[in-house]
Amino acid sequence: MNHALVSLACHAYVVAALVYLVYLVRQMDALATGGRVLVGTGLALHAVALVGLFGAQGGRPVGVAQGFSTFAFLLLTIFLVVDVCYRKPVIGAFITPLAVAVLMPGLLLDPGHVMSPDVQRPLLPVHITIALLGVAASAVATGVAVMYLLMERQVKGKRFGLLFSRLPSLEFLDTLNRRLAVLGFIALSVTLVTGAFFSSAAPGFFWTWTSKQIATLVAWAVFAALVGARSFGGWRGRRVALLTMTGFCLLLVSFLSSYDFIHVGGGAH
Amino acid sequence: MEFLCIGLSHRTAPLGVRERLALPEARQVELLQRLAQSPNEAFLVSTCNRVELYMAAPDMNRVRESAREELQQLGGPDALEHLYEHRGEDALVHLFRVAASLDSMVLGEAQILGQVKEAFEKGQGVGAVRGELTRVCAAAFGCAKRVRTETAIGRAATSMASAAVSLASKVFDGLKDKTVLLVGAGEMAELAARHLKQAGATKLLVANRTLARAEALAAEVGATARPYEELFTLLTAADVVVCSTASPVPIFTKENVGAVGKARKHRTLFMVDLAVPRDIAPEVGELDWVHAYDVDDIQKFVAENAAARAEEAQKAGVLVAQEVARFVRDRAVRNGVPVLAQLRQRGESIARAEVERTLAAIGDGLTDKQRKSVEAMARAIVNKLLHEPTARLRSVGPEHEGNRLAGAAAELFGLEEAAPPTGAGGPNVVANGGKG
Repeated sequence: MNHALVSLACHAYVVAALVYLVYLVRQMDALATGGRVLVGTGLALHAVALVGLFGAQGGRPVGVAQGFSTFAFLLLTIFLVVDVCYRKPVIGAFITPLAVAVLMPGLLLDPGHVMSPDVQRPLLPVHITIALLGVAASAVATGVAVMYLLMERQVKGKRFGLLFSRLPSLEFLDTLNRRLAVLGFIALSVTLVTGAFFSSAAPGFFWTWTSKQIATLVAWAVFAALVGARSFGGWRGRRVALLTMTGFCLLLVSFLSSYDFIHVGGGAH
Repeated sequence: MEFLCIGLSHRTAPLGVRERLALPEARQVELLQRLAQSPNEAFLVSTCNRVELYMAAPDMNRVRESAREELQQLGGPDALEHLYEHRGEDALVHLFRVAASLDSMVLGEAQILGQVKEAFEKGQGVGAVRGELTRVCAAAFGCAKRVRTETAIGRAATSMASAAVSLASKVFDGLKDKTVLLVGAGEMAELAARHLKQAGATKLLVANRTLARAEALAAEVGATARPYEELFTLLTAADVVVCSTASPVPIFTKENVGAVGKARKHRTLFMVDLAVPRDIAPEVGELDWVHAYDVDDIQKFVAENAAARAEEAQKAGVLVAQEVARFVRDRAVRNGVPVLAQLRQRGESIARAEVERTLAAIGDGLTDKQRKSVEAMARAIVNKLLHEPTARLRSVGPEHEGNRLAGAAAELFGLEEAAPPTGAGGPNVVANGGKG
């Protein structure tokens, strides 16, 4: 049932991605509205499925398939908020395909093996959800950074083609990137703090030099540097966009190393 | 009189060549005085996008050669390869299109008409434009007005200045909280200021070498005039810079713009150069935080958006064709009439001479009544003979038939040496104001 709902949501996202890509070429308001409605519908279905799943699992995603699914859900939720706030539907052409790509493993990996793992820890659902929110925020920030780099190429290279006429202004993309990076940074900070609590609660495992911990810490450092350099060093534009992408790649490593791929679905978080 | 347009524009020549041909006023006057010795006429349209000589002369081949030489001397050896020429009616069509803004970088922009008018008045001022080109220009300006009122071309597009503002909107998310610095206080700066205001800019600064002009512009558009000496201090605070000065060398170079980078924490700077020669050196755009555009970049941008205006331009093109045809027809009628007058004069003088000879031969043998009958008969023969040619010449058709007929009549009746109809023109009876 839940799997069917996620599959249905995925169909909605795929159609939304196509609609947004068409919007990139032919800017019609109806397409923007259509994309928004499709994403909204998909998210509603997706939410029902996730609530159903998590209810039985102590309020958190378990296993890599659900991890990807939740990641995609949060990613599109952030996008929808951005879309409603700023009314720049063209961002959808870059974010929705990314969300579909993220959701695919969630659908294709076998969810059958998922079982409620070890002991219940009260902070775990918060830790995981916020960690995923951080990854999702940095994913959207990366999408926006890609848009920035593309637009900067057009503006600098004086290429006045389709992208030039469709993409939002450099300043808008830079500001949006900043806001998303701040969101990502806060989420990551909370993740680290709750993670520390959570690890120290398990005897003898405060810092274990796992690839996940290292990648998360380095990613946090990158985002901290990014937010700091912006606020105090006046950094902006391309450098920040590239840093955002670096931070996201590190987070992706951290995210993937949270799961034991050999025993799909068997990982803790 | 034949017409010729010779020159180059943004369509044929790169900015570098156009820069060399952007002459100071005094040299323009000298050029016109050399080229427009009576009965020749000439005026020079010199804008940042085009340098064109429009000429009318009875012996165009000679004038054309000297015009080419002059342009080559001014623009360097490679200028010739960028030159284009339109002769006869093609030259008229070109002028009408230029004045109607159909040949502009931004189709339909209003500024060009003012610039052509100014060029025409300058020509008149130095005596280089007299009767023939005055009539041509009057028709061209009338046509431009018709294009503006009867098509949407002027509404769809505006000017280089508005294109520059559109470009700014791709860098900045609105101009409301941005500081705009206008360098130069001419017509271009004024236009840019108006567009920037329309786009939401509130903080406008004007810097100009002559402070009084900066103040005048500032008062007119609601900006603040600042002394030119503060230019680089102002640059530190500016987000958008629009240059349109007549400076022969770049004001902004990579070095002097780069020097303010630290003070402004490398905040994004958008610079538009509407001047030719350029006010902003091309290398300025290499700075990471600077986006610099010159007139050619703006042209490129406009060209991408031109498709939308193509339809209106087509309508305008039809109007131009109509107006040129009407002008040519009117001109033919005008030029045809003296042929008629001369023809009649010739006929009447022959009739009179023959009557006198006949009467002298007959002697006193005729009564007064018989004398009058002979005179009447001679006149009647001339009238009957000339009736058809007169009617034909008067009813000149739309395809410049009149001109050909006038020429043919002049040749047939040996009127080539006839005096011009006005003080301005040359021997127009055989002139080919139509096809060149």
